[in-house]
Amino acid sequence: MTSPACVRRPLWPIVKVRRRRSLISLTPLIDVVFILLVFFMLASSFLDWRSITLSAPSAGAASASMEGAVLVEIRTAGLRLSGRPIDLDGLEASIRTRMAEKPGQAVFVKTAAGVPLQQAVAVLDRLSAAGVRNLSLIRDQAR
Amino acid sequence: MRLAHLHRTRAANEDDRVLPLINVVFLLLIFFMVVGSLSATDPFAIAPPQSSNGEPGDPKDIVLLIGTDGRLALDGRVLEAASLKSAMTERLVDAPAQEVHVKADGAAAATEVVGVMETLRAAGVERVRLMTVPGGVQ
Repeated sequence: MTSPACVRRPLWPIVKVRRRRSLISLTPLIDVVFILLVFFMLASSFLDWRSITLSAPSAGAASASMEGAVLVEIRTAGLRLSGRPIDLDGLEASIRTRMAEKPGQAVFVKTAAGVPLQQAVAVLDRLSAAGVRNLSLIRDQAR
Repeated sequence: MRLAHLHRTRAANEDDRVLPLINVVFLLLIFFMVVGSLSATDPFAIAPPQSSNGEPGDPKDIVLLIGTDGRLALDGRVLEAASLKSAMTERLVDAPAQEVHVKADGAAAATEVVGVMETLRAAGVERVRLMTVPGGVQ
């Protein structure tokens, strides 16, 4: 009965110090921290952005710079590489061999009307995976 | 004496019980501050196209937003397609970084986006970065 009191007695000053410190209440601190937390949760974005670098297309003078460039057409019906129908895997393989022969080969991607950007990005994605660095998006001039 | 002592320890204990909560909340706060990137909110929402590769990097410097219905916003300000060229030329005078980050909606017509890029080219932009997010395409 007496022994716990004996053990506790040396702790008295510590308890006193703690009590004096808690005169400043923790509740406003928690309030402020919660408000900050909610602010950062709502205001910050966690989107992991990637980018595909393209050369900006010029409207009229595309034909001059298209000398020796590979043309990939995206139509609503499917893909065409230099006029011949091809699928996505075949396109990547074919472009890969061309890039091995001629690094720095320019590739033009021509989109037809009605093609969503997502479809064009899927093709651009494959092309940059195949090692194309000089990519350009153009559109059908005959509209 | 004994009662006062009990009361005091309980007061100290109440603070002690709140401390883990504060620790966790502080950790969460620091997590959100460090991991999340604060940026200005876009004037209209877009669903960026998904791609499986591409260089990582946040949109910065000159950011052009293209919505589904052809709406445009340059650096957070909505503008008409007709005034894009002059606005871009003006913007390039201030900062001659000839690179524009284009954030376009994945469902927007590709020809429309290319049309905007042609306008950028006419305004003197050399390179365009098409912003995407990683996703399960193919």
